[in-house]
Amino acid sequence: MLESTQNFLVANPLLLAFIKILIIFTVLSLIVAYLVYMERKVLAFMQARLGPMRVGPWGLLQPVADGLKLLLKEDIIPAGADEWLFLLSPAISITAAFTVFAAIPFAGNFYVTDINIGLLFILAVSSLGIYGIILGGWSSNSHYPLLGALRSSAQLVSYEVAASMALVGVLLISNSLSMVEIVKRQLDMGIWNVFLQPVAFLIYLIAAVAETNRNPFDLPEAESELTAGFHTEYSGFRFALYFMAEYTNMVVVSCIAVTLFLGGWLRPFASFAALDFLKYAPILAFLGTAAFVLWLGLKSSVPLERYFFIGLAASCVVLAILVAYPPVLNAIQGIFWFGAKILGFLYAFIWYRATFPRYRYDQLMNVGWRWMIPLAIVNLIVTAVARYLWMSHHAATPLAWLGR
Amino acid sequence: MPDATFLDANELVINMGPQHPATHGVLRIKLKLDGERVIGTECIIGYLHRGVEKIAENRTYAQFAPYVDRMDYCAAVTNGMGYVEAVEKLLGVEIPPRAQYTRMILAELQRIASHLLWLGTHALDIGAMTPVFYTFREREEVLKIFEKYCGARLTTHAFRIGGLQYDLYDGFERETVKFCDYFLPKIDEYEQLLTKNRIWLKRTREVGVISGEDAIAYGVTGPVLRGSGVKWDIRKAQPYEAYDKVEFDVPIGEFGDTYDRYTVRMQEMRQSVRIIRQCVERLGPGPIFGKVGKVIKPPAGEVYHSIEAPKGELGYYVVSDGTVNPYRVRVRPPSLINLQAFDKMAQGHLVADIVAIVGTLDIVLGEVDR
Amino acid sequence: MDWKDFLRRIFFVDLIKGLRLTFSYQRPEATYTEQYPLERPPVAERYRGAPRLNNHPQSGETLCIACNLCSIACPENLIVVGWARTEDRKKRLTTFTYDLSRCMFCGLCEDACPVDALELTQDFEIAQYSREGMIWDRQALEEGPKPVRYTR
Repeated sequence: MLESTQNFLVANPLLLAFIKILIIFTVLSLIVAYLVYMERKVLAFMQARLGPMRVGPWGLLQPVADGLKLLLKEDIIPAGADEWLFLLSPAISITAAFTVFAAIPFAGNFYVTDINIGLLFILAVSSLGIYGIILGGWSSNSHYPLLGALRSSAQLVSYEVAASMALVGVLLISNSLSMVEIVKRQLDMGIWNVFLQPVAFLIYLIAAVAETNRNPFDLPEAESELTAGFHTEYSGFRFALYFMAEYTNMVVVSCIAVTLFLGGWLRPFASFAALDFLKYAPILAFLGTAAFVLWLGLKSSVPLERYFFIGLAASCVVLAILVAYPPVLNAIQGIFWFGAKILGFLYAFIWYRATFPRYRYDQLMNVGWRWMIPLAIVNLIVTAVARYLWMSHHAATPLAWLGR
Repeated sequence: MPDATFLDANELVINMGPQHPATHGVLRIKLKLDGERVIGTECIIGYLHRGVEKIAENRTYAQFAPYVDRMDYCAAVTNGMGYVEAVEKLLGVEIPPRAQYTRMILAELQRIASHLLWLGTHALDIGAMTPVFYTFREREEVLKIFEKYCGARLTTHAFRIGGLQYDLYDGFERETVKFCDYFLPKIDEYEQLLTKNRIWLKRTREVGVISGEDAIAYGVTGPVLRGSGVKWDIRKAQPYEAYDKVEFDVPIGEFGDTYDRYTVRMQEMRQSVRIIRQCVERLGPGPIFGKVGKVIKPPAGEVYHSIEAPKGELGYYVVSDGTVNPYRVRVRPPSLINLQAFDKMAQGHLVADIVAIVGTLDIVLGEVDR
Repeated sequence: MDWKDFLRRIFFVDLIKGLRLTFSYQRPEATYTEQYPLERPPVAERYRGAPRLNNHPQSGETLCIACNLCSIACPENLIVVGWARTEDRKKRLTTFTYDLSRCMFCGLCEDACPVDALELTQDFEIAQYSREGMIWDRQALEEGPKPVRYTR
């Protein structure tokens, strides 16, 4: 039966793509919702407090409560606001943010499409999200959001330049714009791009934080500043859309960074068969989660919470056993490593928010134009020169692939 | 015709209203901007005026003591100390040494608590959102000691005219020393998070500069004055209580910018710990009340007495006409006088720095408006 | 800037030190939260909270001698002591009104009472649903507040 469904799906590529889009969209929405929860929890732990605890056991239902609240809020459209644009802007933001996921490979065989100009497509579409910000600020008919939107979009555009230049460095090594091809190159070379292009990685990391308007680059939308940002006049579900668009952007830049620099869905040392035992990591991960959840549950004094957590731990153990079945283990490898790396990036975003003060706007633009972009250009030049020099070698070493 | 002030590219007047997350109370600032640069400011105060000085005319000296706590509500103990000492000066009463040392310990603990609150809120305004939680946790420990000593955490009413109402509770010395030991590494933690951080340096260096001469001309006192390089601390210059008997340093800054005031306050916290340790050692048994009659009726006269409150020089000018009610109590609020320097400090800065400058002045609107 | 400072700058040493500190705070014992109302805070003995009129432990009669000293001491004049002379020419307390809405909990009344009848207790949950509820008569003062205790 599996064979026949597989053949049917391959014969109808549109249907297959539609199903994949449905899966990605659902999973991503859940991830974004729980990213908000994870941010509140991690931020809280770093600040010596607990975060959401009341709504559901350990606050797990908090995203549901927040979503419901935003849905039920009064829908206010400011007087004199351009109504159509006011309605359209959050939609533009979130559409641009979600569309990018069409070209990102989550595993060796799980991606909606593999365009041969994948990287270009991704950069172009994520830049479209800036329209959502500008139009949002403009259509609010109030000068504070307009100023905030202009500042925000100027910041985004500047760091977009730096990020793209950093990515061109990776392009020089990988010889291809296709995302799947870039990851396959890293598998062939046996080394992740982050070790070949550390400066580009650093620049992209900083530019990614600035791209998503996160601390330390979040002056345009900080609460204690004068201009409260482009989303001042938005309330209810429209604000929820902007909010989701921001967090989806976080996931997008993490996905891009992971795919281009950290080997995408490859496990560490993917080309060394000796370290094949690393493929059992998913089982360990599930068992570890089960143990942690069990410890949490045993600590709790409320019976409902305790049973919930013991149930959760038991289901994690069941999943671990399920994953131990070899075909499942092989199928799940790519998505597991991809997910783990994304989680690391998202954790880093939250970590920076907890630790650093905020840059002032002119200092922010200073960093972008005077440091990031020249550094990216220098990186490009050095990479190009290095590649040209290696081109003459044809030795069978991993690095020789640089010259191909 | 579109709004003229909005399209006029030369000047824009923006109101940083009384309700603002960063103005530490109900302070209204009108900013005159040229683009993003501030070319003029105007502070409008009085949103928290409660007529405290007028209330004083209708209360007895002892009854007025709880009202002074409510002025600088972040540092109630030092408020009370200033008032009580002023009236004691008027009465000419000597306080026994045990009371003196206890007052000093509580005042220095209050200085630490006030600076901790300042640090947390200042860092929060600049964008670092974690120090506020850490500093408030340390503040909790200080407030616990206050609660055990006098029964309230914030509006302490700790001192009485002539001495102390409560003697030290069992374990006060032990807990205070334990707090000192617990607290010193925490200051190192805050420094780890902020002092060398390049973003913090960029936000606070050369922001809100005021020179020493200007500071003296405006009458600025406290850490703001010391940050500009002027070594003036009332605890050393005109010692009260037993401050001349303990050893401590007075930290001063160099450039008079926000970063210097930050380092001055961090160093002051360390020096406070030093003072507390010395006072705890010198605490001996003895009476806690001086020779004061049942009814406090100072002879007709006037006195001005000032102390080094955490925010600056807090002064009380008490005029007595021989009755049980004071004729006039005038409070010299350090925050109000320091706020005078705000315009000078804010010239030529960007709007985002205004928040940092208001924070570094360490104003409490309860004191500014009384 | 010498070479050590330069290296510190390009390797973000100052930022990493801050990151290390916030990372270390994730250990469970660093959490300083108290889950009120399930965990109640420890209140000091001298805490100035809700007022209470004490009764004699054995006889149950009120300790108050209606001397009016607390009323005189209060800065806000919110205590009203009513008394009457009984047959044996003694002053007995009849009504005692305390206006909690204006009280600053300064403790001057507690200090003034010569027989420790008026005491500020450790109760801090004194919220009421109406302004009239904040004016306590003698019975409310003797019983003390009865706050709603929430359970899970």
